[in-house]
Amino acid sequence: MSAGVRVAKWKEWLFFAFLCLSLVFTLFPFIWMLSTSFKSPGEIFTQTPTFIPQQATLDNYRNLLQSANLGRSFLNSLVFATGMTILSVLCNAMAAYGFAKLSFPGREKIFALLLLTMMVPGQVTMMPVFLILKTLGFLNSFVGLIIPGIASVFGIFMLRQFMQAIPEEILEAARIDGCSEYRIFYSIMLPLCRPVLATLAIFSFIGAWNEFFWPLVIMLREDMQTLPVALANLNGQFNTDWGLLMAGSVLVVVPVILVFLLAQKHYIKGIAAGGVKG
Amino acid sequence: MKNICALLILLLAVTSGFSQAGAAESPVNLTVWAMGNEGLLIRKMADRFEELNPQVKITTQAIPWTAAHGKLVTGVVGDMSPDVCQMGTTWMAEFQAMGALEPLDSYLQGATAVKIDDYFPAALTSTFFAGQRFGLPWYVDTRVFFYRSDIVAQAGYTSFPADWIELKALATAIMAANKEAGRPGFAFSLPTNDWQIFLMFFWQAGGQLFPDAENQPLLSHAPAIKTLEYLRSFFVEGLTSLTSGRDMDLLTAFDSGFFPMFIAGPWMVSTVETGKPELAGRWATAPMPKDARGASFIGGSNLAMFKSSKNKAWAWKFMEYMSTAESQVTWYELSKNLPSLRGAWEHRALSDNPHLKAFRQQLEEAIAPPAIPEWEQIADAVSEGMEPVMHGNLSAAEGVQKMSEKAAIILRKPTAAGVAGDLWKLALALAVGTLLLLAIFFRWLPREKDYISNRSFQPVALVFVLPALTLLTVFLFLPILASWFASFTNWDIYGISRPENVVWTGFDNYRHLAGDPVFWVSLRNSLLFALIGVPLNLMCSLFAALLLNREFIRFKALFRVGFFIPCITTMVAVAVIWRWLYNPEFGLLNLALGWLGLSPQNWLANQWLALPSLIIMAVWKGFGYNMIIFIAALQAIPEELYESADIDGASEPQQFWHITLPMLRETTAFVTIMTSIGFLQFFAEPYIMTGGGPLNQTMSVVLYMYNHGFKFYNLGYASSIAYVLFAIILVFTLVQGMIRKGLEGGRK
Repeated sequence: MSAGVRVAKWKEWLFFAFLCLSLVFTLFPFIWMLSTSFKSPGEIFTQTPTFIPQQATLDNYRNLLQSANLGRSFLNSLVFATGMTILSVLCNAMAAYGFAKLSFPGREKIFALLLLTMMVPGQVTMMPVFLILKTLGFLNSFVGLIIPGIASVFGIFMLRQFMQAIPEEILEAARIDGCSEYRIFYSIMLPLCRPVLATLAIFSFIGAWNEFFWPLVIMLREDMQTLPVALANLNGQFNTDWGLLMAGSVLVVVPVILVFLLAQKHYIKGIAAGGVKG
Repeated sequence: MKNICALLILLLAVTSGFSQAGAAESPVNLTVWAMGNEGLLIRKMADRFEELNPQVKITTQAIPWTAAHGKLVTGVVGDMSPDVCQMGTTWMAEFQAMGALEPLDSYLQGATAVKIDDYFPAALTSTFFAGQRFGLPWYVDTRVFFYRSDIVAQAGYTSFPADWIELKALATAIMAANKEAGRPGFAFSLPTNDWQIFLMFFWQAGGQLFPDAENQPLLSHAPAIKTLEYLRSFFVEGLTSLTSGRDMDLLTAFDSGFFPMFIAGPWMVSTVETGKPELAGRWATAPMPKDARGASFIGGSNLAMFKSSKNKAWAWKFMEYMSTAESQVTWYELSKNLPSLRGAWEHRALSDNPHLKAFRQQLEEAIAPPAIPEWEQIADAVSEGMEPVMHGNLSAAEGVQKMSEKAAIILRKPTAAGVAGDLWKLALALAVGTLLLLAIFFRWLPREKDYISNRSFQPVALVFVLPALTLLTVFLFLPILASWFASFTNWDIYGISRPENVVWTGFDNYRHLAGDPVFWVSLRNSLLFALIGVPLNLMCSLFAALLLNREFIRFKALFRVGFFIPCITTMVAVAVIWRWLYNPEFGLLNLALGWLGLSPQNWLANQWLALPSLIIMAVWKGFGYNMIIFIAALQAIPEELYESADIDGASEPQQFWHITLPMLRETTAFVTIMTSIGFLQFFAEPYIMTGGGPLNQTMSVVLYMYNHGFKFYNLGYASSIAYVLFAIILVFTLVQGMIRKGLEGGRK
């Protein structure tokens, strides 16, 4: 904090304490999930949930690794989610740049149409999308899994909002210097948008990684199953092996946390500000 | 750019490699699907069959229970169905109606291995349609009483009651004993909205269902009223509570004696044995008490052959193999699922287990629900009539009336408004109407805005937007148009794989919707979700983002991950913990209320508290998403602005109002619109936590639509729900935009 505003130290500590308290609250279920994955069946259900296993066991993880084709499913999920993330960030960033900073007839109208589509609940288009994939012959392939999800109105909308806030003068200066629009997009726009691109990457990865319905209905063969589908098979119709289920959930969440940590490094203060100066 | 291209090429190479791998050729290939764990275990049966028939190679696939129905329907629609499939007894009618199943009569002629007479009679109900047999019963389940023998003995009973009156007396005795000892708890766990529970008692009271008869109510009224009054009396007399024991609660409550009795199926035998081994010898099972007759509900799974199978002879051989008494015993030993053949029950593995005796006895008297495609919907109507009676909002007679009325609407044959000849006229009218609507919408948008600072058309823009627009046209605009058209048809389970059954019904769906009380309740709920949830979510996420943007705060990354973790924690784990927080008996929230000297509340089962409880949970789960969007946007505010404000001596709140908020304007608009849409399309929380109950007080529009679309496969009706919601969201967004414009105008 620079000279003008001085916030009392005790106030900052109060904020900090508040944050810590909130953290406990948000982490609660996660910790239960983690601890349950190390519990034996007899220990899982007590009147009040316990957070430290009495006799920690690795049985759940051992069973998990033995059941189903887990390694293969993990790999499938990784390919699917990574592919989806890269392609969708690229595709949506390009479209967002077009809608935010380039002139073409019908721009506002098409964009308004895109916004309209977000108001239709996604569930209602599932069957038609499935039939289209069938017609195109994309069923039972990774192409069919990835292609419908690449372009997302949410992604275009979010990136466009961010790009619109970037001052026109920066781009104008580059244009005067003779930069092509591709060059401006790649060398100026993308670096300026790093925080929001990271955010979209996180969302895309999580979306694809946790996606359950599409991998289930599109993939026919067991060796093309993704992780959430393989894990859902461990559930019974009426009874659930909670230890196993939670071990599986931990396995699903860990890569997501890694991706999040990786991506949030791009939340560095002042990128955009630096851009304005330069 | 180069490294992105390289990555792309690599990715394509990997994906194409993946799709070509595998698939070894062999003479006879059979595909067999089964659900969940059974799908994994059936591999062992397939191995044995392959040993006996080396020329056959069986591919087994496990389908998750939670989505098995959807997977099977898309399998049929996408021509990807297996040769043989496990099929829940209540699904048989639907898939038969879809024309997906192979009739088995010709195979059964002269087959010696399959003994139709040896099956429990009720197990065969779901295999017989219009004089033909589809599918063979595989395993069965039925509901019996589970009870704590020690507690029942303490109450003065040496054996479990055999009829309704005695059951009531036992429950009263248990409650009296509880009161004397000062123990908390109830006599037994009785769900308020479970159609299976209702049907069991209804059948016991001598009731009958008439799903086919025209101009006749669904249920025989007198026994139905008697059943509802009997069940209701347990609530009135305080013998059971309005919160049903869910998953973990039931087992712990059984262990602690809080619920010493409950009604469940055979799966609970192993759950109690493994979950609470120390209870051994202190619990038992007993057949359901009788009234006019003994009866219980029968469920389970059949094995069915699909019409699309290319190896029907071998598919039948496999079904035959699975349908011998020996195989069923082996299957019991593998999976603990109960055999559907009486012969299999003579094996020691089953006859020696004391807990199974009640099931064996009950199976002879079990009854199956009628095998009609509309059953899921009717069952829903039954639950819906039952619940308000249990809560005391309706009398028993009114509840039965409600069930019958709803059933009559569901079973009513659709009236086709248009015949095939008018089809193109309707389609044309619809297309013109759609275009008109869009034209009106676009009238508002000025053309000049298309061109930034008066630059002319930049063709290069097309390179940027066309890839996304092409994909969106194929996978978004077209499907939306299709579902919009579908909302004017009767597209349902009969038409899903047989387009000739789809008929234009004009505005029928919308007319029906206008008179559908559940829809209006769900609409009110969704609006409430949005009105309360959106501001709460925005405040929490913006506040968190602002705090985490302060320089003073250390461990920023830790807090960011921590606050984001609810967004990525598995919903089932979240549900377990939140259910515990809200648990009326030993939940943390009520404990806290106790410290404050307030009376405990029944959070999720109370008609007025359930909705706010879900909103709080949704805000908790979702604010992390908006938080990181705000964090990303806060990074983009130039530091210089704050520095010069500091120099001018602006206070912190002043800086917030005059720099931060205006700079976040675009992001806030985006986040507000997205969050509003998200809350208006509220789905996951009620779906998992309450299923829309109690009394539809947490039913959201999208959950209601989902039930119609994916539980009942009324895709036409579901689409009409979606478009009414669409219209509402549109109005909502436009109003929001106008308010914002008005505010900004005011500020200027």
